Amino acid sequence: MNLKKFKFTHYINYFVIGILTIVLAVLTMTKTVFPSSFLYLMEKMSISVILAVSLSLVVGFLGELSLGHAGFMCVGAYLGGKVASMLVPVMGNSIPTFLISLAVGAIAAAICGAIIGIPALRLRGDYLAIVTLAFGEIVKSIFQNTSDATFGGAMGLATPRFSKSYLFLFALVLVLITLAVVQNFIRSKHGRAVTAIRDNEIAAKATGINVTKYKLIAFIISATFAGVAGVLYSFSTSTIQSITFDYNYSIEILVMVVLGGMGNINGSIIAAALITFLNTKLPTILTGDLAVLQDLLYALILIVIIIYNNAPALKNFRDRVSLSKLLKKLFRHKNDPSSISDDAAKWDVVPTKIEMNEVLSVDVVPPDLQDPSGKGGDD
Amino acid sequence: MELFLTTLINGLSLGGIYAMIALGYTMVYGIAKMLNFAHGDIIMVGGYTIYVFMATKNPFLAIFMAVLFCVILGILIEKIAYKPLRGASPLAVLITAIGVSYLLQSLALIIFKSASKTVTVFELKSVSLFGVPVQISALLTLAVTVVVMVVLTLFIKYTRLGRAMIAVSEDKGAAQLMGINVNGIITVTFAIGSALAALAGLFLLMRAPNLTNTFGAMPGIKAFTAAVIGGIGSIPGAMLGGILLGFVECIAAKITVIAPYTDAIEFSILIIILLVRPTGFLGKKRREKV
Amino acid sequence: MKSIKILSLLLALIMCLGMFAGCGDIEDIEDAGNEDGTGVSSKYTEKNTTYKIGVSGPLTGGAAPYGVAVKNSAQMAVDEINAAGGLNGVKFELVVMDDKHDATLIPTNYAALYEGGMQVSLGTVTTAPGLEFKTLSKEDNVFFLTPSASGDKIPEFDNGYQMCFADGNQGKVAADFVNDNYSGKTIGVFFKSDDPYSKGIYDQFKANIDASVTVTETSFTESTKTDFSSQIDTLKNCEFIFMPIYSEPASLFMTQAKDILLADAVYFGCDGFDGIDHLEGFEINKIPQKVTMLSHFNSKATEGKAKEFIDKYVDKYGIDTLNQFGASAYDCVYAIYGAMKAAIDSGKEIPVTISASALCDILKEQFNGGYTFADGATGQNIKWAANGYVEKGAIQYVIKDAGTN
Repeated sequence: MNLKKFKFTHYINYFVIGILTIVLAVLTMTKTVFPSSFLYLMEKMSISVILAVSLSLVVGFLGELSLGHAGFMCVGAYLGGKVASMLVPVMGNSIPTFLISLAVGAIAAAICGAIIGIPALRLRGDYLAIVTLAFGEIVKSIFQNTSDATFGGAMGLATPRFSKSYLFLFALVLVLITLAVVQNFIRSKHGRAVTAIRDNEIAAKATGINVTKYKLIAFIISATFAGVAGVLYSFSTSTIQSITFDYNYSIEILVMVVLGGMGNINGSIIAAALITFLNTKLPTILTGDLAVLQDLLYALILIVIIIYNNAPALKNFRDRVSLSKLLKKLFRHKNDPSSISDDAAKWDVVPTKIEMNEVLSVDVVPPDLQDPSGKGGDD
Repeated sequence: MELFLTTLINGLSLGGIYAMIALGYTMVYGIAKMLNFAHGDIIMVGGYTIYVFMATKNPFLAIFMAVLFCVILGILIEKIAYKPLRGASPLAVLITAIGVSYLLQSLALIIFKSASKTVTVFELKSVSLFGVPVQISALLTLAVTVVVMVVLTLFIKYTRLGRAMIAVSEDKGAAQLMGINVNGIITVTFAIGSALAALAGLFLLMRAPNLTNTFGAMPGIKAFTAAVIGGIGSIPGAMLGGILLGFVECIAAKITVIAPYTDAIEFSILIIILLVRPTGFLGKKRREKV
Repeated sequence: MKSIKILSLLLALIMCLGMFAGCGDIEDIEDAGNEDGTGVSSKYTEKNTTYKIGVSGPLTGGAAPYGVAVKNSAQMAVDEINAAGGLNGVKFELVVMDDKHDATLIPTNYAALYEGGMQVSLGTVTTAPGLEFKTLSKEDNVFFLTPSASGDKIPEFDNGYQMCFADGNQGKVAADFVNDNYSGKTIGVFFKSDDPYSKGIYDQFKANIDASVTVTETSFTESTKTDFSSQIDTLKNCEFIFMPIYSEPASLFMTQAKDILLADAVYFGCDGFDGIDHLEGFEINKIPQKVTMLSHFNSKATEGKAKEFIDKYVDKYGIDTLNQFGASAYDCVYAIYGAMKAAIDSGKEIPVTISASALCDILKEQFNGGYTFADGATGQNIKWAANGYVEKGAIQYVIKDAGTN
């Protein structure tokens, strides 16, 4: 119980979502009726946030590019959904059914995470990216061709829908659990080992970090929560169709992580919520003939934000108008002037505020030497 | 024999198309160190350009315009979307490329609407080869692919510009010190890649003349896979990977039991190959330095 | 750090338990505002000044031609009804949402429609999103009559009806046709293994085909939908090829296969074939083989309602998107209009602010009570069975005879 180390700002996301959950839970218990569109939006946002936060662990903190996150979600959705559909006749559409399906889906996805984690030990950068993409497509293809009796094949797997008045609360609680596990992992010594591997694998090895173990752990945790999101999805829908989980979905999750800023969990959460909001609201605003504009808007917003956030030429401009930096300055001087020299605090800050070009460089070479060593074949 | 020959020719011509697209991926990767996810959509743009200019009933003009338009588009995309991000994280560039891909697809949807367009570039029949009917378009694809590969290899090996490209891919900083215009080289690379994509679009249309705004997406992904199998950054690797993938696809589609799993099989082969050779068939192994 | 872990887990647990206590039995909270005193209006429809018809269909993406056809045709029907004075002076309004043929967009689309005051629906245009739509609409008791989502399970609940033939039905009709005409011969089947529509028809076809018919089958998937050379090779000796697929891949198959297949072979498709003769750039007359389909709409009709519809549609939107999806949607709007009119004639009241649920009960009564849609573009004397399936005549429609011209 070392409360000195406890920093409110590090857990601000947790508390904001927690308070939101409690308020909504209280309102629900007092029989307030929310419009369905709000409930569906909350469910979708929660699923996206879980996916983005879990992917952020692999992409932002371990520094490996994964394009198959939807594949883990697919495994979770199908297995969780199947278990739920078998349990409902026996146990009813109740909380135990929900929890058991959740456990099955999460464990199945975790096993897949371990399987994909193994090539990850051997492959780097783009090679790993394509393997994860391949994994996602393989999973999709397998579920697509199952028989009607097992997973429904092309007709989709009919799954029980959970009561929609409560599912979004469960979803929010799962978001909190995801955040608690992932953030605590990142800020623990294990998390520091993971970021050390990202920053320099050989140096990490040299200091005695078990690279194999930590890479596997990161992949498994990430996959587990993708599985959780999958089970959640299966409860929010009445038919699971494998075509949903194609590589475009994986890319969408990756976009959330990157837009939010690599290794910045708060950013990922905001980006996930925002993109989901856009994706679900644009079709309701741009109806009829305007529908063709959705993708155009989405693409333009994406390109502009990424260039604005990352272009080296705009760095000075960004620094001048950066809101978060301003806030950080204020916070530091007011509350905790000593934190700069506090080693532990430094560790906590560093992983969440990495400069973009240090992250995910395919080479193990420091960024300033990156170009000279880059060869055609890379790694 | 008949089965063997048709599968062989089919596989080779599909593989040739994949190889041509994979070349674009691999060259851009080798020189700009980025995965150009929008590459597949350049194919689509090429297809639509051919469709538009086929109104003149002159297929050669249409092909020429497609190549020209794709080259200009490729250069523009590089200048507007990718160049500002040079020096930024590879992932930021990747996401921008994805954004460009969505942008091209949605523009195509707005301009050409959703109904698919069927484009017949050449009226080609099939010929008899050892008593087996073979599509002329497949043979043509094969021939052009071989020519393109040879020309490209010679170009890179024996011209100043080609050697400058190798230099840039080996070591950007040193190349700049030697007086090579790195930005110019990157532009040339994008131009060549886009021209190849336009040609690939032509051959895809000859195989399957239905044009929609996602026309290039799956061939793009498959070609990316091919580039990785062959070793990304390596030009002969791209050819090898493309042809291997083309064969696998054609053979798998032949066998009814496994036909629905064609994708899964192709991707499984990729994973297996990468597990045995982590940098693909011809990818360079590099020792890790600290 | 431990403290946070414990704290967070505690918080999560408390909330789970709180929910246990709050609702021993997990059931939806009844929306009190949904049914007010009279049970006629709801909070979402009380401000309506028109009858609102909602539909979700693919306006972008690969299946967009069907969604666009439905949007155009339904709008055309609505405009016509309104121009003629609406229903007792009350006009209709159509709201179309884009679902990109993606089931995951249905919950929000549906909620936006429902909360926007939708009182009756045309469901979805395609089957995959429809599987989600039927569940959601059942929860709120919203009546839907889908023009083209032909999945067998679409009208699973009592609020769902189809204007098109269900897949299983088409598969069975096609199998009967083959049993009668190709007994003892070898026929080919070409289907899309990852598409519920195609797979559904194929399964039924397979189940109903006689043992005397030899079936050579081959399939493709979403990612192999552009190159059919190996499938063509498999089917090259078949004189009859059953293709329960949509027109785009079919046209592609035909173009690629025209010189390889037997010149007198016959293609036989289901309603997905519709519009194949209008695909831009696809010159069906250059295909030597005969192209036929099982349909409820004759896009070359020279008389009756079908002809009327075709003329008006082509005049307004061009021939590119003319297909049975549109004709069916046109009929759906008129069928709903007719049923509402019949209900009013029989003494029911349908105020403009009627809730979706109240209107659903009225329409269900009509559709189950022998309501007949006398004359539509897709058939005459159309009736509905209690399970929601449509009952009307199918035609064996020859799109193009053998030989090139």
